[in-house]
Amino acid sequence: MPKTIVPRRSFLAGGAALAFAPLTARAAADLGAPAPAFVGRDSNGKTWELVQLRGRTVVLETTNHDCPYVGKQYRSGNMQALQREAAAKSVIWLTVAASAPGEQGYVTANEANDIVRRNNAAPTAVLLDPQGKIAHAYNATVTPHMFIINAAGVLVYKGGIDSIASTNVADVPRARQYVRLALDELLAGKPITDASTRPYGCSLKYAPS
Amino acid sequence: MSRVLALLVSLLLALPAAAQSVVKTENVRAELISEVSQAKAGEPFWVALRQTIRPHWHTYWKNPGDAGQATDIAWKLPAGVTAGPIVWPTPMKIDVGGIINYGFEGDILLLAKITPPADFAGSTLTVAANANWLVCDDVCIPEEGKFSLALPVGPAAVPADAATRALFDRARRDVPMESPWPARFGIGPLGDPTLIVDAKGLKPDTIRGIYFFPAEWGAVANMAQQTAKVTPDGIRIPLRKGDAKATAAPTQISGTLVLTEKTGDGEHRQAFDLVAKLDPAFVPEAASSAGAGPGEILSFWQALLFALLGGLILNLMPCVFPVLAMKAAAFVDLVGHSRGEIRRDGIAYTAGVLVSFGLMAAAVLAIRASLGEVTWGFQFQSPIFSLLIAYLFFIVGLNLSGLFEVGGRFAGLGQGLAGRHGMTGAFFTGVLAVVVATPCTAPFMAAALGFALSQPAPVTVAVLLAMGLGLALPYLVLAMTPALQRLLPKPGPWMVRLRQFLAFPMYASAVWMIWVLTQQTGANGVLYALGGMILIAFAIWLLRVGAPASPALWARRGVAAAAVLLAFAAALKVEDQPATAATAGGPASGVSFEGWTPFSRARVDEALASGKPVFVDFTAAWCITCLVNERVALETRATRRAFEQTGTVKLKGDWTNRDPEITAMLKEMGRAGVPLYLYWASGESHPKILPQILTEASVISELTSHQQAKR
Repeated sequence: MPKTIVPRRSFLAGGAALAFAPLTARAAADLGAPAPAFVGRDSNGKTWELVQLRGRTVVLETTNHDCPYVGKQYRSGNMQALQREAAAKSVIWLTVAASAPGEQGYVTANEANDIVRRNNAAPTAVLLDPQGKIAHAYNATVTPHMFIINAAGVLVYKGGIDSIASTNVADVPRARQYVRLALDELLAGKPITDASTRPYGCSLKYAPS
Repeated sequence: MSRVLALLVSLLLALPAAAQSVVKTENVRAELISEVSQAKAGEPFWVALRQTIRPHWHTYWKNPGDAGQATDIAWKLPAGVTAGPIVWPTPMKIDVGGIINYGFEGDILLLAKITPPADFAGSTLTVAANANWLVCDDVCIPEEGKFSLALPVGPAAVPADAATRALFDRARRDVPMESPWPARFGIGPLGDPTLIVDAKGLKPDTIRGIYFFPAEWGAVANMAQQTAKVTPDGIRIPLRKGDAKATAAPTQISGTLVLTEKTGDGEHRQAFDLVAKLDPAFVPEAASSAGAGPGEILSFWQALLFALLGGLILNLMPCVFPVLAMKAAAFVDLVGHSRGEIRRDGIAYTAGVLVSFGLMAAAVLAIRASLGEVTWGFQFQSPIFSLLIAYLFFIVGLNLSGLFEVGGRFAGLGQGLAGRHGMTGAFFTGVLAVVVATPCTAPFMAAALGFALSQPAPVTVAVLLAMGLGLALPYLVLAMTPALQRLLPKPGPWMVRLRQFLAFPMYASAVWMIWVLTQQTGANGVLYALGGMILIAFAIWLLRVGAPASPALWARRGVAAAAVLLAFAAALKVEDQPATAATAGGPASGVSFEGWTPFSRARVDEALASGKPVFVDFTAAWCITCLVNERVALETRATRRAFEQTGTVKLKGDWTNRDPEITAMLKEMGRAGVPLYLYWASGESHPKILPQILTEASVISELTSHQQAKR
């Protein structure tokens, strides 16, 4: 019976794969997988539901206006420029304010609108996510943490806004603009070169659990 | 009053340094300091950016983790002068609302080596730097500072004052040392890496707080919980794959391993830098990653289901197949018996399986209660167990071949034995199936077993019983369903041939167990195992020859018993093998005596009588702190020279196997364990107990100060 001397490793691997086959699906935000669904209310009271946006490209940007890394992007005008470019290509840009009440970056609807006005920002909407539900669904860890969802509802980019982790405005023009490059490639129907990059910024201010 | 004093002290401390070497921000006092007060051309020296961080705030390590940013130093140096990379202290894990950061709190030094060229001409070397750091508690503040430190350059390097040197010494102790053990990793079915640090023979109960800090973003997810374990093969750390979008799996993972070891009189945190290479042959089972992420832990019912399925699948495994084939033959033999008999047979077999699994569960619980942790398949780590199973396979094989018959259903194929005997036989066939199935269950049932072993007792038992039920299920269903029984072939002479044929898988299984044995004991194991088998066969033959009632029967029985005893003595001999193999093993598994004499009380007394100083190092192969001390303090070139120059007698006590003489000595010194370092200065009758954490400087000063005092 030659079966008896099958190398142990081969049935080890096979067995493990078999035993675990039903568990391979992960709930987390994985590239190439359907983006986690969400429903959120924006600073003007409008409800946004991801499934309703099928057919449109969607950008998510986590924010905390007092975070110096967010400040770098808005002071340099980089974030606003990206938002306007996106709007011109009819991309939906959702800024997600996910700081918990009492934490740095928490905003009311009015405050959120004031910040948009003050920054001359141009997102499609600012979602208020004080419980961090949307941020959690995407495993967001920092502000700004960027996500791009394609027209088919698949997550195609996650990571940083650009390549230089700093709070120095002077670094913006020198940095590789990951989000702009990803959007350009996506809309041109090309695969995204840097689809997962290191997110950098302040830790996202989730409610203490 | 004390505050005024503190202010004065800090002013005094700040004075000698050039004013611009200190930058005070709201949250950090940063200072550029040098280990030399005068530099020499061509001679490298160390400088450091010292950060004194506001309580509860932190700055970041080279891999800041899920958020944050590492401190960055841009050096501005005269032409030809170079600065090395930052040498980072051991980081700590900082959990900010579930987001894992790697960084530092308190007072730290970021070391860097400055190398002036040999032809450096100036009389002053100005080390200048722009540093940026992010300091956070709940909120983050980027800060920066410009630093400048002017050092005179002279014919010789002059060390800085003692306080500064002490700072550098302390900082160096906090830098991870190169890992003394090689490391490797395998990629699991879900792409998650599992790291193995090949530190063999560590003791799980003295080590806690194991954490692996990945050196870079990407390969490993920082946020996932790590459930590291100390196993006989080393430290096993299941990790979660990181977010780097790699077309291929990483070929190496570097980072810092941190652990806390409980030694004789306290706990010590140790840190090791390591680079793990991809080991394509190592495929960690998914169970290891099951514990890694909150979303992947099996629920109780899932585990039960997997256990049941796993038990079912076990019926197809090579190791169970022979037993099952036997069972099938026995079943065919039952055809034609009453339905009730067949049913009882099926139930007895199931009972045998379940009782065995129950006993194993009890054993697991008992071992867990006494040792704290248990890995499945633990019994197969014992060469005795492997040998006994090999014997068992062999004896069953001989029986099937027809060398002997045993009363009872167990081997009663073709004998048409009565149903009552059959039940006992069926029960033990079930037991046998479980015994031989165990080697298969370990890899196969990893997920459910991993779950079971980490759960409270009732769950452990339930999962194991579910697996047993799965194993017994096909036969049970067959026994309970007359419709299925009708599909079985009619009894006939083919059954004898089948029985004889089935002996061969049994022999093959015995061969396999002997192979397992060689893995545990080396080539000698084969000699004992095969010799034992011949003795067993001989004993069986002896019992079969001659007339049943002759007086010679007793003589033959005596010889047979002696032969069997001898076979089992071989098992005990086999047990000795791994011990000798371990002592002959690599440097990681044993204590090295190079340059040292084994400790004994007599040797100490002898050396003291001759007026020589004596240094004793009590160590053990599993003691990490001992190993670190040896590497950083006892086996350095400078310390060896100091030992030599002072004529110190170096004795080493190896407590790996709890040597009683050493135990007595430890007790005498009020210690419960190692490390323990004793030093008798020349002419002293009482030893001085040195600290458990040694540095090169402290050992050398201990050795030489007495020497000087004597002169």
